[in-house]
Amino acid sequence: MASTSPPLAAGYEAIRPKILQRLLELRTTLDPSLGRLDDATARAQIGAVLDHIGNFIATGDLGLHRAFLHTFLAMRAAEAQSPASVLAMLVAIGDTAAQVAQEEAGSSEARSELTLLLTRVTASTARAVNDLIADELARRMGQWNELAKKEREGKKR
Amino acid sequence: MKTPVPAPPVRVAGATNVGKVRTTNEDSMIVDAQRGLFVVLDGMGGANAGDIASQMARDVIAEFIMHRRSTMPPRALLDGAIQAATQAVFSASQAHRERHGMGTTCVACMILDATHMLIAHVGDSRAYLLRGGRLQTLTRDHTIVEELVDRGLLSPDEADRHPYKNVLSRNLGARPETRVDMVELELKPGDRLLLCSDGLYGYASAEAMQYLLGSGDAPDHVARDLIELALRGGGGDNVTAIVLEASQPAPSGTQLVRTNGAIAWWQRRQRFLHVAKERGLPKNPMVRGLEPNEALELVALNLCQAIFHDLEKSTGVNVWTFAQTLAGGWFERGGDWAALRGMMDILGEATRIVVDEIRTLDAQLGFLLDIAVSRALVVAELALGGLLAERLRQVDGELIQLHTAAQETIDVESLDDTGDRFIERPTIRFLRAERVVTAAGVSDEVGGAIEKTLTIARARTSPRAELVKRVLSSLEAIATDGSSNFSTAVIAARDLYGVRTVDDAGVMPLFDALDQARILTAAAVHQIQVAEPIRAKALRAISNAHQRLVSATTGLVLEAAAPYTDRLREAQQVTSDMRDKVAAAEKRRAELERRFATNVDASQPWGSRGNTEW
Repeated sequence: MASTSPPLAAGYEAIRPKILQRLLELRTTLDPSLGRLDDATARAQIGAVLDHIGNFIATGDLGLHRAFLHTFLAMRAAEAQSPASVLAMLVAIGDTAAQVAQEEAGSSEARSELTLLLTRVTASTARAVNDLIADELARRMGQWNELAKKEREGKKR
Repeated sequence: MKTPVPAPPVRVAGATNVGKVRTTNEDSMIVDAQRGLFVVLDGMGGANAGDIASQMARDVIAEFIMHRRSTMPPRALLDGAIQAATQAVFSASQAHRERHGMGTTCVACMILDATHMLIAHVGDSRAYLLRGGRLQTLTRDHTIVEELVDRGLLSPDEADRHPYKNVLSRNLGARPETRVDMVELELKPGDRLLLCSDGLYGYASAEAMQYLLGSGDAPDHVARDLIELALRGGGGDNVTAIVLEASQPAPSGTQLVRTNGAIAWWQRRQRFLHVAKERGLPKNPMVRGLEPNEALELVALNLCQAIFHDLEKSTGVNVWTFAQTLAGGWFERGGDWAALRGMMDILGEATRIVVDEIRTLDAQLGFLLDIAVSRALVVAELALGGLLAERLRQVDGELIQLHTAAQETIDVESLDDTGDRFIERPTIRFLRAERVVTAAGVSDEVGGAIEKTLTIARARTSPRAELVKRVLSSLEAIATDGSSNFSTAVIAARDLYGVRTVDDAGVMPLFDALDQARILTAAAVHQIQVAEPIRAKALRAISNAHQRLVSATTGLVLEAAAPYTDRLREAQQVTSDMRDKVAAAEKRRAELERRFATNVDASQPWGSRGNTEW
């Protein structure tokens, strides 16, 4: 995604507190993973994602986007969340952000553009998360092949 | 002023169910879209009087409104109808001894025009409004406890626990007349209104009701789902729900996409296939062996159809199914991710090109389609993510089995004595090998649990995180070591330190790796399948091992830094001296300023004392 114009980044920053508020209010109905978290943890996790979306809108840097998602996935995995539920949570956050933009962003044109942008950011997030899961799967398949080979050799001996 | 005939009908549906405990349904309802009248009534009273009360009130209200609508203003009309029902139920209860005390609640909604409705209620049946995704209650229950709260005699917390919290303070039938609460509501596009008896909200959470109301499904589906929700919550009472969706003055974006958008998309299906072909779809490994046209029909046309149907119905189910079928089949054949990603990218690109073309012809429609199609691509990714995560889970399980089998074949004789020699070297005190620690050796069962934990943690480690992998191996060695001393930790720390010496990046990567390993193992220990006591012992052993490893590593770093401590002390002394000199200079400057300021001539234009602008 190319870097976006400052007005959209500024428009997003203006509605970010409202997005956070909406997500905290609706988190139990939006996504089971978010629903299970206590308020402080949910605020921290959602806040981190919203901060990052702001950076991504401002810079359009896909490398940073991927790096953030990598870390986010690793941290959620350390909390025993499955990658699928992390993906669903990120999509739920993106969807809500787009919905708030549609309702709250300034002029009609700004509203439309920001809504579209946030929807595209969500699509790009989902794509990147799947690529990361696929990388991890490939790595473990490699380990699996290696161990299976060792096991076969052990049996031969 | 007479009450007008309601403007454009709202979409509405009602459903009722006897529940799982009661034998008769004492709830009644009116769903009259033609007259714009919707009512839920919840009857009460023994000997089947409850259903008689609610049905009687229902009939009286419907008849009253039908006959007086053209002659009375809305508020008076609705109030009159409810009063007439009250009178009728009261008279019937007085006339028949066995029906004495019967009554009914009532929540009614009357459509005034395209954007306004009137809500009236008596008792504890409720009206809810869903606006902007949020559910709010429009009515306040008429119970004794609520009225005590209103008067400040009970706190809301006390009210929740009060034994009489369900005892009504008002109903239709207890007296010849009743007080009706009314509220007029201005409707906004997308608003949804729910009228229900306590059999719904008493057995379903507000969050779940909000979720169903906001699902975007048609009102009849939502009403049915709400009833189902209450039944799953226990179904201890009769349950009734009426769902209304406000009519919209102009076609909404969703409606535009459903009609014009879906058609515009479908009309460009050949263009979509053409672009997909140009971008190389027929050459993708997923369709190897198929003729180009077959490949395009099988994949691109199917997606095109799925998007069309999803646009028409504002759902994502068709695209979800498409993506899952495509990816599921490919993975089953042992296909790789790269080909699938390539295919999805071609389809995504073709989709965007077609939508951009629609946007140049019709900016508004194109924009709405752009959002809808971007959503469809997200849905496809969600389906793929589910499959990938499931595959990952399976591989994890197989890895654990294989790793356990592989561990059994390790030849313990092959271990060398490098570690022992290192420990014999003199080193700083707390690193010496003879330092006994409290943890005892571990049983076979706990050892197995530790191995499984570390296998999962290793599987979750990033491919490039060599240092983390080494830390995990060290943790395994220390945690399963039966000798109960510090030697294994010292050996492991030395090995790790050899990998990451003090270089330009410092030793922080090593400590980062130690911390990451701690997080990974803490998560992994909860994923193994063992009895809880074993899990707890394994966790304790790994935690002790981690503490020992961190202590040993810290010791090594301190040892390495020892030669530099004198130089550091010298540098600190020099800094301290310089700070003293600076302080003395500051003091002197202040003194000079003070002396100069006392000699300033106040008559000169540079003004006041202490002004340094001159």
